[in-house]
Amino acid sequence: MKKFFCMMMAVLMVLAMTACGGEKTPTPNQDETETIRIGGIGPLSGGYANYGFSVKNGAQLAVDEINAAGGINGKQIELSFQDSQADPESAVNAYGKLMDWGMQVSLGGVLSGETASIVAAAREDNIMLITPSGSADKCIDDNSRAFRVCFYDSFQGAAAAQYIKNNNMVDTVGILYQSDIDYSVGLYNAFVEECGKSGITIAETQTFTDATKTDFSTQINALVNSGVKLVFIPFYAEEASTFLTQARGKFADDVYFFGADGLDGILGKVEQDPTIANNVLMLTPFAADDPAENVQAFVKAYQAAYNATPDQFAADAYDAVYVIKAAVEKAGTTDGDAMAAAMTSLEVTGVTGTMTWNADGNTNKNASAILYYDGVGSLFGA
Amino acid sequence: MTHFIQTLISGLSLGSIYALIALGYTMVYGIAKMLNFAHGDIIMIGAYAGIIAVGQMNLPTLAAVLLSILICALLGVLIEFLAYKPLRQAPPLSVLITAIGVSYFLQNLALILFGSQQKAYPTLAVMSHYTIGGVTVDGISILTLLVTAVIMVVLTFFINKTRLGKAMRAVSEDKAAASLMGISVNGTITLTFAIGSALAAVASIFYGMSYVYIKPTTGAMPGIKAFTAAVFGGIGSVPGAMLGGILLGVIEQLSKTYISTLWSDAIVFGVLVLVLVVKPTGLLGKTMNEKV
Amino acid sequence: MKQSKKFKLHGDLLTFLLVAVAFGVIAYLLYGGYLTRQVSNMLIPISVYIVLAVSLNLVVGLLGELSLGHAGFMSVGLFSGCLISIALAEVLPMPVRLPLSMLCGGLIAALFGLVVGLPALRLKGDYLAIVTLACGEIIKNIITNLDLTGGALGLNTNAIYSNAKTLLPYAVVLVLLTVLVMMNLKRSKQGRAIMAIRDNRIAAESVGIDVTWYKLVVFMLAAFFAGAAGTLYGHYFANVKAASFDYNMSIEILVIVVLGGMGSIPGSIIAAVVLTALPEAMREFADYRMLLYAIVLILVMLTTNNPGMKEFFSRLRPSALFRRLTAKKSPQKEGA
Repeated sequence: MKKFFCMMMAVLMVLAMTACGGEKTPTPNQDETETIRIGGIGPLSGGYANYGFSVKNGAQLAVDEINAAGGINGKQIELSFQDSQADPESAVNAYGKLMDWGMQVSLGGVLSGETASIVAAAREDNIMLITPSGSADKCIDDNSRAFRVCFYDSFQGAAAAQYIKNNNMVDTVGILYQSDIDYSVGLYNAFVEECGKSGITIAETQTFTDATKTDFSTQINALVNSGVKLVFIPFYAEEASTFLTQARGKFADDVYFFGADGLDGILGKVEQDPTIANNVLMLTPFAADDPAENVQAFVKAYQAAYNATPDQFAADAYDAVYVIKAAVEKAGTTDGDAMAAAMTSLEVTGVTGTMTWNADGNTNKNASAILYYDGVGSLFGA
Repeated sequence: MTHFIQTLISGLSLGSIYALIALGYTMVYGIAKMLNFAHGDIIMIGAYAGIIAVGQMNLPTLAAVLLSILICALLGVLIEFLAYKPLRQAPPLSVLITAIGVSYFLQNLALILFGSQQKAYPTLAVMSHYTIGGVTVDGISILTLLVTAVIMVVLTFFINKTRLGKAMRAVSEDKAAASLMGISVNGTITLTFAIGSALAAVASIFYGMSYVYIKPTTGAMPGIKAFTAAVFGGIGSVPGAMLGGILLGVIEQLSKTYISTLWSDAIVFGVLVLVLVVKPTGLLGKTMNEKV
Repeated sequence: MKQSKKFKLHGDLLTFLLVAVAFGVIAYLLYGGYLTRQVSNMLIPISVYIVLAVSLNLVVGLLGELSLGHAGFMSVGLFSGCLISIALAEVLPMPVRLPLSMLCGGLIAALFGLVVGLPALRLKGDYLAIVTLACGEIIKNIITNLDLTGGALGLNTNAIYSNAKTLLPYAVVLVLLTVLVMMNLKRSKQGRAIMAIRDNRIAAESVGIDVTWYKLVVFMLAAFFAGAAGTLYGHYFANVKAASFDYNMSIEILVIVVLGGMGSIPGSIIAAVVLTALPEAMREFADYRMLLYAIVLILVMLTTNNPGMKEFFSRLRPSALFRRLTAKKSPQKEGA
């Protein structure tokens, strides 16, 4: 009898679940809807929430601007942004929720892992997907309707090595990378390969993991002892701030720390003492102090709306929404195939540069390096 | 050689932090027979307390240190009272799950209160590097080592020589007999939680000064490593927690320096498995009597 | 005595049938297009968590040993099974390939279960728990550094990715198979031997039960199902990384087991459904949802262990779920 009671509960629960599902909203006929519905997914809780909020805010700013200016083809845009807790499983659930809501264009996922899961889930839905910040090479694979705004990892790793070569910075480098995240390993692999091609010697390679990212003393000792004048640091600003704080005073004054777009927001991380980030070079498509008119307008609007300086995640998301606008206008519909076809012939100038897209979903745009000193970033080299 | 000494010292100072946290695990385990999974998160709360005390309340260093110790001790007692005390008679696994719930709660509360962005721990004292015979050592490492050593001596004295310490040992041996001898079992358990959490606060100060950046999830990794250290040394044994913590820190730094940073996690845990397979109750753990 | 055995048989059969019927209803709703995408996207993870929880329950509930490394076994099964499946993607059709790779993933995970189970012969309680946790972390570290499994970049499983509609039948079969095996084991001679080891190892040994053998079998069986479930899980995501299967995930599975009730199969199933659906149901609360989840977890533990509540529940219904949770004679009793 008691078992029976238990199972009754289970059945009731299942029924309750499906009952919630009963009120299914039919997918609106795409071209007859009043509004265009864009769905975004990213971590709004947990340790990576800052990235999720940057993307959400950047996208919302663009949506508000476009709506104020009359929308896309006369239609207003709606944005729904769902939390993923940085977990692919939760991201797929969030994607389901957005589809129930009637999403017509997807902003993919903020992080590469969740983007990969959504890209696979979206394959059969004829939805165009453009991730602002999913940078892992493979995260938009096998879906011809998936694109990205940011650089892809191996491009950045190679670009970093070329940059060092072209500017005759050094001949030997040291590397510190995080061995258990795709972003860092992706950049590292491409960097090492490109170094081999352009004759840069790698004198010392050190790694760390999520479990050991608070203590860099042994890695710093090894890198200092190797005597390199440039350390390639392809990881995120948070880990970089810890590394730089502990490295302070141990390296010679003329040693550069060279990183990629993951370092974005480094000054905010070391705001208690910006000189910690001295000699940090960052390869990036977006800089908040870029004097370009559109960039400054964006930075001002973002600061007014959210009381914070936009980082690259926000800029990528802002551009992503404008790219969607351009693609819908060009295709004349939100149909996934039509928009994907339009994407490859688009040229969009956004705050992260002028972008065109390949059929594989990757974008072509230029990167420049910013050198930080005493809390001020300035363009460096060519 | 100088390289080796340098590594050893950084291992000792990392191990000291693990040991301070492991003491909290082991004391609570010894007396309440529960794994307090939320212990690691007390460190995080202690660190935020330090940040607020100095950054927003502008308290002097000593006051900030005392405040963060006080807050952690109170929090430990409060958690014990609200979440663990009602479960005194419950099966250990229910208590474990409750402790996990408390850990989630503290992390998510901190996330809402302080945001997911890391915050920098204030510079409580200016520490320079010292170079002795070619070996460069951080002042903070030395301070961590010294303070931990002092705390361990005082704690050993407290447990072995004072009335309260003896009461703690009595409760840990046999609750019923202890209460018959006139010892307040509940009071003693409360005291244990207060001391364990206060030690976590001390650990948070050294953690903050050594590693600077604090996030809501800061406590998780040191917590799990300290838990490992406590079991390594023999859970329930106070000297075992000290030894386990320090050994774990040294092994971690040595394997990072001399073997590979890629495999340091596997090596640390591999050593632990080996030690436990050879000595199933940890380094200094008591052999459990099996009742027939 | 005879009466009670008959009843148990009846109850197990009922449980099994009800699970089958529940899945039947879900399948009908899914293929009929009545389910929202949000719900249908949760079906495969829920099935996987059911298998994980039921198999962990074998170790925790039946054998009475605390394991914090279940996600490690799942990870081993996931990567080995998916690698096999990718290699065979062009050769074999899905209905052959997926069960075969699940079987292989399960067997390789069981092999790891043997390796981890060996120290389990000497260790008890919290020492065993920390060794299983350590083994899980070692597995994670190794897979993250292997080129074969894609390393930190993760294994690209796009070649074998399938959606919920394709995978549901396999998930259903796996869940039913797991439940069937666990139920039969619990009722069998072997199962009673395992429970005897849990309740009193020395007494069990003295009546001639081979403790070593049974402990190993339990570890391997639990690892097998975790591995098979892992392979299924890998087919549902386009990219899988070893880092996701850390001790936090093992703890999540343990939470399901304890919440559902030690040794209770229907309990594990219900708890797996509820705990997977709960964060989704609380989506509207945004920032506060994980805080609420923590509070719910603590409150459930407090109320189910509260003497007054216990009384209340026992009067309401003496269900196995709560009886086991609040049992006086716990398998993990201190100093045992």
